[in-house]
Amino acid sequence: MRIIGDDRYLISAFAKRLGHCFLAMLLLISVLSLSACSRPRSRFETGVLRVNLGTEPPGLDWHTATDSTSFDVVSNLMVGLTQYTNKLTCAPSCAKSWEILDGGRRYVFHLRDDLRWTDGKPVTAYDFEYAWKRLLNPVTAAQYAFFLYDVVNAREYNTGKLKSADTLGIKAVDDHTFEVRLRKPAAYFIYLTAFCVSFPMRKDVVENWGDRWTEPEHFVTNGPFKLTKWQHEYKMELAANESYFDRVPQVKLIKMFMVPEASTAFALYENDELDFIDNRSFATPDVERYRNSPEYKNFPLLRANYLAFNVTKKPFTDVRIRKAVAMAIDRSIFPRILRRGERPATSWIPPALPGYSPDSGTKFDPAAARALLAEAGYPGGKGLPKAELLYPNRDDVRLTVEATQDQLKRNLGMEIELVNQEWKVYLATVRKDAPPMFRNSWGADFPDPETFMNLFTKDCGNNDTKWSDPRYDALIEAAQGELNAAKRADLYRQADVMLCREAVPIVPTFLATQNIMIKPWVTGIAINPLDLQFFKDVVVSDTEANQREIR
Amino acid sequence: MLALIIKRILLAIPVLLVVASLTFVLVRIVPGGPFDADKNLPPEIIANLNAKYHLDRPVPEQYLLYLGRLAQGDLGVSYKYVNRTVNDILADAFPVSLQLGTISLTLAVLVGVPLGAIAAVCRGRKEDVIAMFLSTLGISVPGFVIGATLIFVFAIKLRVLPVGLWESPWHVVLPAVTLAFSPAAYLARLTRASVLEIVEKDWVRTARSKGLSQWNTVLKHILRNSLIPVVTVLGPLTAIVITGSFVVEYIYAIPGMGRFFITAVMNRDYDLILGTTLVFAVLLIIANTFVDLAYQFLDPRMRIED
Repeated sequence: MRIIGDDRYLISAFAKRLGHCFLAMLLLISVLSLSACSRPRSRFETGVLRVNLGTEPPGLDWHTATDSTSFDVVSNLMVGLTQYTNKLTCAPSCAKSWEILDGGRRYVFHLRDDLRWTDGKPVTAYDFEYAWKRLLNPVTAAQYAFFLYDVVNAREYNTGKLKSADTLGIKAVDDHTFEVRLRKPAAYFIYLTAFCVSFPMRKDVVENWGDRWTEPEHFVTNGPFKLTKWQHEYKMELAANESYFDRVPQVKLIKMFMVPEASTAFALYENDELDFIDNRSFATPDVERYRNSPEYKNFPLLRANYLAFNVTKKPFTDVRIRKAVAMAIDRSIFPRILRRGERPATSWIPPALPGYSPDSGTKFDPAAARALLAEAGYPGGKGLPKAELLYPNRDDVRLTVEATQDQLKRNLGMEIELVNQEWKVYLATVRKDAPPMFRNSWGADFPDPETFMNLFTKDCGNNDTKWSDPRYDALIEAAQGELNAAKRADLYRQADVMLCREAVPIVPTFLATQNIMIKPWVTGIAINPLDLQFFKDVVVSDTEANQREIR
Repeated sequence: MLALIIKRILLAIPVLLVVASLTFVLVRIVPGGPFDADKNLPPEIIANLNAKYHLDRPVPEQYLLYLGRLAQGDLGVSYKYVNRTVNDILADAFPVSLQLGTISLTLAVLVGVPLGAIAAVCRGRKEDVIAMFLSTLGISVPGFVIGATLIFVFAIKLRVLPVGLWESPWHVVLPAVTLAFSPAAYLARLTRASVLEIVEKDWVRTARSKGLSQWNTVLKHILRNSLIPVVTVLGPLTAIVITGSFVVEYIYAIPGMGRFFITAVMNRDYDLILGTTLVFAVLLIIANTFVDLAYQFLDPRMRIED
């Protein structure tokens, strides 16, 4: 159809109008560009650190928080009785000293007398007593209350069997003395006093403001920084706490952005809008691109990945087949496909912890694996039923299970069917009735082998393999109460051998790493294997040394 | 007109009740619960949590409790963001999405409608080809590609606009353009089809033959009539755009509410899922009411007798 009338006039009029609009937009963009170019933006601000949290912390109440984002913030706002050093030991913090009495059943902490909350009030042993009792109060519904289950009557009180908190083994003797009684010796207990869940809390603040007590206008803390601003889902600002008992931090302000998309965060870093980024802001290609940059660093974490069997499901009811699988997987494949410097692992205890031995696990030996499989009645994998391997729906996990599938096919002739599920569906499936094989991971809560080894005891709620052995449970229980460090490490090592070489309910695969980039004007960022980030010693300035690097 | 509005409000109540009930049932059918995590909790602790959030009660009782709270305007609490209510979360996030969405929608209408009209008037010529190429591009290229491309060009290469964040008016430009792309393309195609249909009508020829100026013909007869389908889709489109976009908010790190449509489901944050769904339903109803009102201005035949 041709349009009737003098449509050319129409077109030109329309086009002209539109043309004007575009011209105006063009002009706007050029003005914008000019104004942006004419203002040279400084690459950083002295004393201000800009980092990416990735997501909104689900909550800053350290009794109900359970995730690393919240703990990253809380670790900079609060300090407990002790604090972790980057060498994974516990150093004095609020407690200047402590005594371990009654064969490890009683701890007495002596508090410093110069401790202050951000509102100027002194931090006392009563704040610890209140906090620990609140954590265990069933009404608080704290997910991590079980960390204190070693305290006398803690489990009973938390589960409602005991109504009164007075029977708990927690007591402020006076302002500066805090006493804890345990139901059995627990050598790892001291680490819990540096963990967020055991930090002190102010009764008056919590009770006054209810659910809103962690908002900046009410929040009272005792650590190196204080919360001054919280724009939910967007940004937090932490200012140096002038009344902090230790050294007041040199960084005056930390801006913690919540940029969920890694590529955006990385672009912000490249554009000097962030000073420090970690895994949350890194895509693998970026790691590749910056691997040789002086700004890039890589640290192993206490987060272990493993392949687990449901030992009640065929064919993995036979230990020989489980062992064959463990021997048929070449762990060095994982860093090659994930490319973030992952550390291959054959033992369940990571190298950084006592009890680790490189010989605890099985070595890669396809010939021996095939022999074991033949012994079990499946020479060359013939007659083996196709086994299901369940994994959560994530790209990096998919890569690792595909590599596993390939290795088992090639080295054993074993057919594996990969099944993926959305994260929460996956968790529900594994807990209810785990398939023959599933992929899982575990991050340490405190720097002690107990956090890893306890996982496969009979009563542990996270043991989805259905495997248990009274000898293993006895070893773990003995290790928990052993106060001699060398003997204790040996007990854990024996348990590790049982887990990774003898019974093989799991096949450890690799340890995850933390990849970070730091701008040359930032010094003093400490990364520890627990993946907690402490910013109290950070300096952001254009010192001469820094200037040289910046140029 | 007042009658229409009152009728719509009365109708909205059962609609919202159905939406709330369906969502309530659906979220509970999905496997996995709000407190599932890689660290499995002791059953006693799960019991404490379920008691705190009344999840230990029978489902019908939970449903009645929920409706009771809803009637008082309380959308419940978030299980993920432990110290925040759903009302708090949406009150923080919705204004951001509304702001960005309004700008994007305006941009989409200002670009999409004229582009479609030009394409129709120049049907078969190079203007038409260019306009339709652009709109096909806008519809078929996903938001994250457009966003990433815009960031790469304007923020990383030219360094004239920020990569992301929500700090100054300059930070609005790229996300608004990204968000406007697909609606603008959609509106352009719709306008083109509609204008092509209208220009053939007898009354357009009559208007011209009685000597009406070209601009008057286009604005009063062609455009006004061809806008009806455009206005129809603008209703749902408004609701979609002003409640935010997961993709745009993610790539530009904007604290809007679009992300909750996805993350609340992933976290099994039951009340937050219900809250976002209900807010969306309410906005959809409001937008559609406005569409019905707009019809009456655009086409007198659609006027409802009071």
